[in-house]
Amino acid sequence: MRLRVDGKEVEVQEGALLLQVAPVPTLCHHPHTETKGLCRLCLVEVNGRLHPACATLAQEGMEVKTETEALRRLRKTLLEWLALTTDLSQAPELLSLMERYGAEPARWPEVAGRKEREALKDNPFFLRDYAKCVNCRRCVDACGDGIMGVYALTLEDRGLLAHPTTPLGRPLPETPCVFCGNCVQVCPTGALRPLTLEVA
Amino acid sequence: MENPSLLPLLDARLPLTEEKVAEAARLARVPLAQAWGVVRYYPRYRGLPQGRLLVDDPVARARGFARLREAADGSYPPLGLEALSPIYLRFNPEGRFVEWQGSLVPFRDFRLPFSLGHGKRLIPPEPILSLAQYRALGGLQALLALLQGRASPEGVLRAVEEAGLLGRGGAAFPAHVKMRTVAQGASPKYLVVNADESEPGNFKDRFLLEHHPFLVLEGALLAALAVGADKVFLYVREEFEAAQEGLQRALSELEEAGLLPVPTEVFRSGGLYICGEETALLESMEGKRAEPRLKPPFPGEKGLWGRPTLVQNVETLANLPLILREGPDAWRALEPKLFSISGDVAHPGLYELPLGTPLGEALRRAGGELGEVQAVLLGGAAGVFTRDLAFPLRFKERLPLGAGALVAFGRDVDLWEVLLGLVHFLKEESCGKCFPCPLGTAVQVEMVKRRERNRALVQDLAETLKGSLCGLGQSAYWAYQSLLEVEGAA
Ligand code: SF4
Ligand code: SF4
Ligand code: SF4
Ligand code: FES
Repeated sequence: MRLRVDGKEVEVQEGALLLQVAPVPTLCHHPHTETKGLCRLCLVEVNGRLHPACATLAQEGMEVKTETEALRRLRKTLLEWLALTTDLSQAPELLSLMERYGAEPARWPEVAGRKEREALKDNPFFLRDYAKCVNCRRCVDACGDGIMGVYALTLEDRGLLAHPTTPLGRPLPETPCVFCGNCVQVCPTGALRPLTLEVA
Repeated sequence: MENPSLLPLLDARLPLTEEKVAEAARLARVPLAQAWGVVRYYPRYRGLPQGRLLVDDPVARARGFARLREAADGSYPPLGLEALSPIYLRFNPEGRFVEWQGSLVPFRDFRLPFSLGHGKRLIPPEPILSLAQYRALGGLQALLALLQGRASPEGVLRAVEEAGLLGRGGAAFPAHVKMRTVAQGASPKYLVVNADESEPGNFKDRFLLEHHPFLVLEGALLAALAVGADKVFLYVREEFEAAQEGLQRALSELEEAGLLPVPTEVFRSGGLYICGEETALLESMEGKRAEPRLKPPFPGEKGLWGRPTLVQNVETLANLPLILREGPDAWRALEPKLFSISGDVAHPGLYELPLGTPLGEALRRAGGELGEVQAVLLGGAAGVFTRDLAFPLRFKERLPLGAGALVAFGRDVDLWEVLLGLVHFLKEESCGKCFPCPLGTAVQVEMVKRRERNRALVQDLAETLKGSLCGLGQSAYWAYQSLLEVEGAA
């Protein structure tokens, strides 16, 4: 199959995602989970319309643009909003993206965000520090349908307040959790992190 | 086929305890985690605020929301009731009541207290609540023709196509295209009637459900037979208790008369604005959090429980019997559309007008003083402000018609207060699944509070919200941007 990406002709296999040919930033996408299409950082323009590269199959004859002025502004703004509402101090990839896109969060008004959430330490292995959580849902998927099939994690609330929680809001040891660590592995922001990394 | 749906199982157990949630999860055969995610999503399972609540709509805000709110314990999202403004709801252990003009009416008795506005129209002005009444007015002819083999499913599809019927839920998508997709799909397949209207200023579907249940049901059954659906679900906004009971009664009458060819069920909606988004609606029916799905695949191919599903708006379906009765050409010559007209007009209510009617003419019908109109909010929350009274009310025009809500604002209204009401609503109703929408709608509220007019900043807000996953986020900046345009033109 042939398509054009930023004006250059590329050849891909049937069934390939645009992500495989489009050099775009990602956040919610992870090779071991089914999460996709949520963060919208990977949006590209296909024949004039926006599509998430992580959830769109490449098709013969597509005209893909990955870095238009509008897309740059979209990514810059989105990163600024994330920094405005969330503690990104342990998300090095996002911090370097912010630099790449010249993000200046201070140009937006303050938003009562999610930064104020208290870290939960309810087990000996890892912290759940949702002040750093962007709600990408990778952990929920890793624990449930994606990898483990254990379903010790689910989601709480709506809108900006939406974030992961446990069934009945119980401490992790009182859930089906087997402490496999998959959720910690897939978390991109340090919201879930091993306690061994914490300085006492 | 499908598992038992989680939402009705939870509804049957209200008020919930942890044990009852666990029991519902077992019966629905889903992990407790899923059930808990659902409980922590929908207001009625989380626990609604009790007391006296003001319906928080943009018109109420414009009329001094702060002052009105002093007499309330909290606020409740708009139900399109502002035409009757101000409206309070009372939620207490005895039940739920609408407080309207000094009297308390239980939800299950509350019907929109107006009939269809005057003028040439296809829908009877007064409520038609019995089968005998409906038949006396020539109703059910099209369904009988189909059942007796005098008409064919293909004939229905062709008539809808020839009429050029566009979806009346807001997206204005050609109805026959969706219908043909489902007609070509393999069984089992479904029809879902989207009756989850809950947008500020919109009350036309509620009106049809409450006043013309047989018209809606005949339309739904015609569509179901035309596409070969095995089952019909009416997904009805949970607050519309009178409508739900009315539909149940109408269904029993049809069944007794042997005129219910497809099993039909009323489903109590999740009760959130986002539940009206067709894929979020399907998620909620499947017992999940009402969060929009990525498209493709579209519901016509993979809908409810992964089966081909026709999701169609109430008004769209109600037009099917009218198209078949009048004939596509005659129907097309009239192009009837229901408009919910409210705000600063003498006779707020519901009007059936031909598409293409100028905005000013529509307002005049409802007793609007055109010289006094500062601006009109066209299309509800996902709408735009305009002062162009010559604007022809037609789909696919320069401005979005949405589901047909017109809210007029007089000279003394502070439009920024109205806008604040709208953006607050959108922030509250964001589901939080994708990133731009919950972040952008929260930032937008702060921008509107400080009356931010910096074009570049508003442009970046718009550009980013445009990247949202569903229509809620994608249209969330329209009202803001259009108000700046209206100001610039003033
Ligand atoms: S550690 Fe527990 S919560 Fe995390 S993925 Fe494993 S089972 Fe799930
Ligand atoms: S905890 Fe981490 S993996 Fe889970 S949703 Fe938040 S950021 Fe994503
Ligand atoms: S745009 Fe808003 S409502 Fe739609 S999926 Fe995204 S967060 Fe949910
Ligand atoms: S990586 Fe594609 S939308 Fe998040």
